Amino acid sequence: MTKLLQPRTYVSLLALLALVLIPLAIQSAFVFHLAIQVCVFASLALAWNIVGGFTGQLSLGHAVFYGIGSYTAGLLVAQFGITPWLGMFAGAAISMLTALVIAYPTMRLRGPFFSLATIAFLEVARLLIIHEESWTGGSAGLNVPLQIGLPWMIFREKSAYLFVAFGFLVFTLFISWMIRRARFGFYLIAVRERVDAARAVGVNAANAKMMAAVISAALTSLIGSFHGMYLTFLEPSSAFSLEMSIQIAMFALIGGIGTVAGPVIGTVLVLPVAELARGWLSAFGNGTHGFVYGLLLVVVVLFFPRGIVGHLGLRVLKLIDQLPSWPLAIQKAAAPQNPNIHYAPKGMPILRAVNIEKRFGGLKATENVSITLHAGEILGIIGPNGAGKTTIFNQLSGFIRPDKGKVEVLDMNGVWVSPTSPELFARAGIGRTFQIVQPFAGMSVLENIMLGAYLHTKHRADAEAIAREVAELTDLTQLLDSEARSLTIGGMKRLEVARALATRPRILLLDEVLAGLNPSDVVRAIAMIRRIRDSGVSVLMIEHLMQATMALSDRIVVIDLGRVLREGAPIDVVNDIEVIQAYLGKGYTHAESS
Amino acid sequence: MSLLLQLLVNGLLLGGSYAIISIGLTLIFGVVRIVNFAHGEFLMVGMYVVWLCAQHLGLHPYASIPIVVLILFGLGALMQRNIIQPLLSADGHIQIFATVGVSTALLNLALILFGADIRKVDASFGTQPFSIGGITFVSGQLITFVVAIVVATALHLFLRHTYTGRAFRALAQNRVAAALMGVNVNAMYVLAFGMGTALVGLAAALMTVQYPAFPTVGSYFVLTAFVIVVLGGMGSLPGAVIGAMFIGLIDSFAGYYVGPDLKEVVYFLVFLSILSIRPTGLFGLGQGSE
Repeated sequence: MTKLLQPRTYVSLLALLALVLIPLAIQSAFVFHLAIQVCVFASLALAWNIVGGFTGQLSLGHAVFYGIGSYTAGLLVAQFGITPWLGMFAGAAISMLTALVIAYPTMRLRGPFFSLATIAFLEVARLLIIHEESWTGGSAGLNVPLQIGLPWMIFREKSAYLFVAFGFLVFTLFISWMIRRARFGFYLIAVRERVDAARAVGVNAANAKMMAAVISAALTSLIGSFHGMYLTFLEPSSAFSLEMSIQIAMFALIGGIGTVAGPVIGTVLVLPVAELARGWLSAFGNGTHGFVYGLLLVVVVLFFPRGIVGHLGLRVLKLIDQLPSWPLAIQKAAAPQNPNIHYAPKGMPILRAVNIEKRFGGLKATENVSITLHAGEILGIIGPNGAGKTTIFNQLSGFIRPDKGKVEVLDMNGVWVSPTSPELFARAGIGRTFQIVQPFAGMSVLENIMLGAYLHTKHRADAEAIAREVAELTDLTQLLDSEARSLTIGGMKRLEVARALATRPRILLLDEVLAGLNPSDVVRAIAMIRRIRDSGVSVLMIEHLMQATMALSDRIVVIDLGRVLREGAPIDVVNDIEVIQAYLGKGYTHAESS
Repeated sequence: MSLLLQLLVNGLLLGGSYAIISIGLTLIFGVVRIVNFAHGEFLMVGMYVVWLCAQHLGLHPYASIPIVVLILFGLGALMQRNIIQPLLSADGHIQIFATVGVSTALLNLALILFGADIRKVDASFGTQPFSIGGITFVSGQLITFVVAIVVATALHLFLRHTYTGRAFRALAQNRVAAALMGVNVNAMYVLAFGMGTALVGLAAALMTVQYPAFPTVGSYFVLTAFVIVVLGGMGSLPGAVIGAMFIGLIDSFAGYYVGPDLKEVVYFLVFLSILSIRPTGLFGLGQGSE
């Protein structure tokens, strides 16, 4: 309850309540209508934002779900006398199925292609509704029977509509807020920003996208059902219109895409202005409000691409935070332990690649490579540029499937498994970093690490506790609250390691974490890798920085031209003549002997 | 037999109209790497310009080609210079919203200025049908078809054999590397975008003979053009022409055998299935969807 006394909470609740209180105070039919429209469109924009904002897939066909919702509810009332309170769930179910059908093939499409495909689905739906004239009413439209009363969702009083619409708004807002705060929301943003890094910490990108599409479709459909009852008349050209899809997306953009408050703020500001403009400028003809929307869209993308929340949000929050507040008791949880993890006894094999081979066209990037990592050791992989080290790494973490041979991991229960995708590798206990760092730039350092921690817990508090523990190990505790984009290169590399460590791996694959660091950062990183090994994690590292590799590694594997050239103790490997030739060319030995 | 042949001819001739709209779209995408959602509205603007020329100057649509091509080149260049150029390195969704915004604004502007009525140009030349061996042709459609093929070939040669054409192709592959080789990126983009919209102006002049102008005429044609361009592989000229013929044939045959109100459903379904199997289009070289 003390949460209600926080300025951010009570200010947002009051602002939201104003949507009901102001029309009730003014008591004009037009203001009621405006408020209802604002609630409906804000809810639609919120629902759209789950796909368009959190997942970053710009759907321009969202009216399809609105249309399905309104038509299903409308037809069930008209044909079978079924109350829309039930009909809307039937509509939502159909919309969810439709969303799956749409999301599955379009998931791989990017940017404009995804938008085009969603428009195409919308067109197909609209044309089919028009074609099925016998039961949909075709292009002439469909009248909802005017049975007045709560069971039929049709009221005499506008205020009753407003209460229902406001209920929908609060509901969608709540769902949207829950998603943003929960692990699922983290995963959606992670998939949007960097799909590879997300998969490496065990996120199933495809499932996350489908789930978002389904939730968004269901919400849009429910609101569509209600709006259909409010309008009491449905026609394909407006229920399934591209124009409405664009409008919904536009409100979210103007408010701030990907934020929780943005879609609501955008609708509250823009919709009344456009409706008023429609009234004032009606002398100029039909298209006025559409013209205003179009111009506004262009102005916003040119000058405020991050929307109102993106550009002003922080400043407003600061102002709000100065309002009186009652202190919250902060609880700190201890990181949950997982006693069931099977740590293999020191020296036992824990990860092995058996005769793996990978071709890219005519190039043999990996040729008959076998590598075994033992529990508790640090294994260094070295080799000249282009030797195929990173390709091997990608096969050891599931990002590339070998053409021949297999990669096996000793999983948590002590069973050898061959995972088939990056997320399954992560679940089997392999954490990896990327040579080119992949921070989630907009998230804080803490949130970046939490993303990894969510692999083993659903609870925010647990994830946070794990993240803080890992931050200690990786020297990031001081930086937990800064944005990831503000880190130095050394900090970003440590963040890569931290995110991987937060998945509680038993095997850590490090891809050039020392490259590009300044000398003092190298010293810190070396100490960090030792600490990681001492905590029971086996480490396999690619590294160019020779002194560090020599100092850290228990064993070294040399890769050249996609093959294993040498394997052994550091001191034997560096003095090997073939290894020297691979790095420096044959001329070196001639030069030395002469 | 003659029915099949007639449907084939109808499909190919319709494909000619689609081709000439699609060429401009694919040129813009190929060079500037922008999917111009306002392309259809440029067609609509062009058709109104042609109608105004006929109304006030008494020009036949074919005679108004120079005027409409110039005006649309200017509009396209303006849009590139003032809206697209500042957003070249912006997020993908911002670029989509920008062209969607222009599209919405233009469509509604037409609604304000001309109302929702359809505006038809009365032209005698171009509308007469004639028949060869029992197959009916409409002269205007035949002209559009021939012009589409000629323009596509000319553009193809231009891209291969002139400095500007090579610069366009270089930009399409790597903007930064092209700039390092001394290509004036911004000027080339303005030129390419202007050429793309000028081509849709040409399409407007040719098509106004058969089709009336109305505010949403653009969305009617451009969705089809998008389907064609994606099918043909975004940015590929030959792909756009072949895609246009393909969709023209589907349109003609599905219109006859499935039903005129469902022909669009058929080619949207073809489009969606191809997109999901091969996101880069049938003739794309694999870089289209990136």
